[in-house]
Amino acid sequence: MHIFRPVVARVLVSTVAGSLLLAGCSGQGGGTAAGDKPVSGGTLTYAVDTEPVSWDPHVSTQDLTAELQRQVLDSLVSEDADGTFHPWLATSWESAPDLRSFTFHLRKDVKFQDGTPFDGTAVKANFDHIVAKETKSQFAASLLGSYTGTTVLDPYTVRVEFAQPSAPFLQAASTSYLGLYSPKTLASDAAKLGQGGPVDVGSGPFRFTGYSKGQQAVFERNPDYRWGPQNAAHTGPAHLDKVVVRFLPDAAVRVGALTSGQVQVAKAVPPQNAATVKADPALRLVTREQPGGNYNLWLNGSLAPLDDQRVRQAIQRGIDLDLDVKTVQFGQFPRAWSPISSITPGYDKSLEHAWPYDRALADRLLDEAGWTGRDSDGYRTANGRRLSVQWPQLSANATQQGRDILGQAIQADLRKIGVEVVRPSLDVGAYSTLVYGGKANIVDLAWARFEPDVLWQFLNSASAPAKGGINPTFLPDQQLDQLTDRGRATLDATERGQVYAKVQQRAIDLAVVVPVYTPVALTGVSAKVGGLGFDPDTWLDFYDAWRTP
Amino acid sequence: MTTHQAPPVADRAGAVEPAAARPPRLPALLRAGLRRLVGALAVLFGAATLAFAALQLIPGDPVATLLGPATTTPPEVREAIRHDLGYDQPVVVQYLHYLGGLLRADLGQSYQLQRPVSDLIAEQLGPTAQLALTAVLLALLIAVLSAVATAGRRPALKALTAAWELVAVSTPSYWLGLVLLTVFSFQLRLFPVAGADGVAALVLPAVTLALPLAGTLAQVLREGLEAALGQPFAVTARARGLSRAGVVLRHALRHAAVPLMTLTGWLTGSLLGGTVLVESVFGRPGVGSLVLAAVNSRDVPVVIGVVLLSALVFVVISTAVDLLAGVLDPRLGNR
Repeated sequence: MHIFRPVVARVLVSTVAGSLLLAGCSGQGGGTAAGDKPVSGGTLTYAVDTEPVSWDPHVSTQDLTAELQRQVLDSLVSEDADGTFHPWLATSWESAPDLRSFTFHLRKDVKFQDGTPFDGTAVKANFDHIVAKETKSQFAASLLGSYTGTTVLDPYTVRVEFAQPSAPFLQAASTSYLGLYSPKTLASDAAKLGQGGPVDVGSGPFRFTGYSKGQQAVFERNPDYRWGPQNAAHTGPAHLDKVVVRFLPDAAVRVGALTSGQVQVAKAVPPQNAATVKADPALRLVTREQPGGNYNLWLNGSLAPLDDQRVRQAIQRGIDLDLDVKTVQFGQFPRAWSPISSITPGYDKSLEHAWPYDRALADRLLDEAGWTGRDSDGYRTANGRRLSVQWPQLSANATQQGRDILGQAIQADLRKIGVEVVRPSLDVGAYSTLVYGGKANIVDLAWARFEPDVLWQFLNSASAPAKGGINPTFLPDQQLDQLTDRGRATLDATERGQVYAKVQQRAIDLAVVVPVYTPVALTGVSAKVGGLGFDPDTWLDFYDAWRTP
Repeated sequence: MTTHQAPPVADRAGAVEPAAARPPRLPALLRAGLRRLVGALAVLFGAATLAFAALQLIPGDPVATLLGPATTTPPEVREAIRHDLGYDQPVVVQYLHYLGGLLRADLGQSYQLQRPVSDLIAEQLGPTAQLALTAVLLALLIAVLSAVATAGRRPALKALTAAWELVAVSTPSYWLGLVLLTVFSFQLRLFPVAGADGVAALVLPAVTLALPLAGTLAQVLREGLEAALGQPFAVTARARGLSRAGVVLRHALRHAAVPLMTLTGWLTGSLLGGTVLVESVFGRPGVGSLVLAAVNSRDVPVVIGVVLLSALVFVVISTAVDLLAGVLDPRLGNR
């Protein structure tokens, strides 16, 4: 199973039901089998590369959990690819000027799959469940941030309250991490939600009817569904009778199952197979760049030798990323210039080509920093010590997206400027202890979310690992703290854009980050499938999808 | 564990007389049974203890391992998890607590999956047992056919079969599985790629597992057959007018069966412990992927549960093999 617990970079999502519909393009180009007109009925089989450990998105950080439970759990609002929010279970909403509370007016005709009517108490029960200590949420609770409670003003009006300004809350509320279970399920089976299967009752377009661990999960159409998000392509129940999710960890097998028609959609097509899938007239390859945190190298600014900004800058400028990324990933992944990807709201385009590969500059910076000696292996030294940095790798996902080979290319580049990179291979426990204890010089990490607030997680000192966060820079910076806090205090797109542009520039200037590449989701899709929705976070939505026999 | 060799002593031609088959007195039988039971319990206890100790030796914080490398989990939640799992207690207390559970036949609850370990194993054992037993039967069938057809034949034929056996033994199951899938599932579309439903889904994984096993078993069996055919009783039987096939099937096979059975038992035991690669390639559920995930996330109750299961399977199989060996070759019963 990746074989096992998917310790891949967490991809967090904002969900947009049917925001980027493929319906338009499915009728043209390669296959015409699906047509433009939806067909009702049938089963779609979807091959995925991992398997959820916990099926409860209130608890788990796993991207696949959030993606699959999207079919079962609805949200208050839906966000589209432009970052605009649309009504879903809430018909309208307003935020307080200080962004410390959000009031939602709810639909009155919604029923959960167990018949329980949806109302304000259901919203309160869910949010309270997420932050409850017993839930032991590993991620969703942090999306609720400084949540203080939900007040049910009348049966169909709720006010969600926070201690701090919480601009990113709407985006969080659109994801299935804050998806809504039936309050009846929460009351009777809260501890079992992670097990998957019929116990997971939501109000979504599909019911979670069956789960065989290690094999498949089955989702069946909810015939009563009348409350899809406003930006979906259709209204009423889903087109498909059934979605079967098969767990096929081996990439070659996933591709084979797709090309032989045994599955209609395959997640995570490996870059080396992209050309094969593209060339097949019965298939198409859908590529979607991930939003949020790119695959970045984060440099620990509190630990020698990277506590010297010149050394950090030398590393930033001493890697030939254009060449390395292109070669290793078969040209499928774009090289990155900012810690966040280009489709993320607030992306600063001015950083592109602003810090190109410059070996001479890197050498000069290291000379200035006093690393002028050379040892017998050709590495720089100062006061008899070798210029050496530690960049641990997680043995479990070392080969993901060719990162192990890319790491070797980076190692070779840095060797040329006299920097030794040591890469111990560690298991999760040892890795976490080292990295989050601030004892590693470099950490590689991708963390996607359709929201520039991911930069708060990486750069604000309140998100330090000692406080349960993931700030890998270990370098408290007043300016970064103020800016990332300010981004949380406004919903004004222009102001947010300016604030987050400064954050990205500051992070590059401080050289606490070396953006490497933007991960791209490569999904293989049969020409018989139409209407498949991808939210901006590259996750699939089957509500609008159909399949011709 | 028994490691019987093919009996090298001369045999009388014809069926072996049950010279040692006098019914043993009851107390002796009881004593033997008790001895086995105590031995089995000692094996189980040792296996549980070793597995527990091995998991303690893995470096790193167990709660961090459980949560994975990238979560936004506040320290209070981490401490709550640590407390719930008993990691805040001394190792000795954790160990005794765990043993106490085992004595009450309680395997505990999976830390990761939040479900009883006994449920998880019960759910995953079915597909594993189905696959393992099918593969072993298939392997035995192929091995017996191959060995019987070629034992004592011309050197050229023997060399040819020895060659296929060698290839079969040394083929990695992961690779074999992919090749079989590519040909029979992706190209010819005769069998489904994945799943545990129905016979069709069982064919390719069973063949993948069976071929290397068949190679090993055939080698052992042919060696045994040829040793038996070289014995004076075989010559006598031939002299009495029995055909070659008759000698092989009626006499030599019985001689060669004991080592074959011992090996088969051992192989079955190891297959029931899970076949991670084949499960992964074919997208099948099973004990193998369960335990691999558990080891990686240090899910102690699941790991120990599966270790206990494997130990139990070995105890049961080796007992069964001993009993069967006694039936096949009564001389062994005297020991």
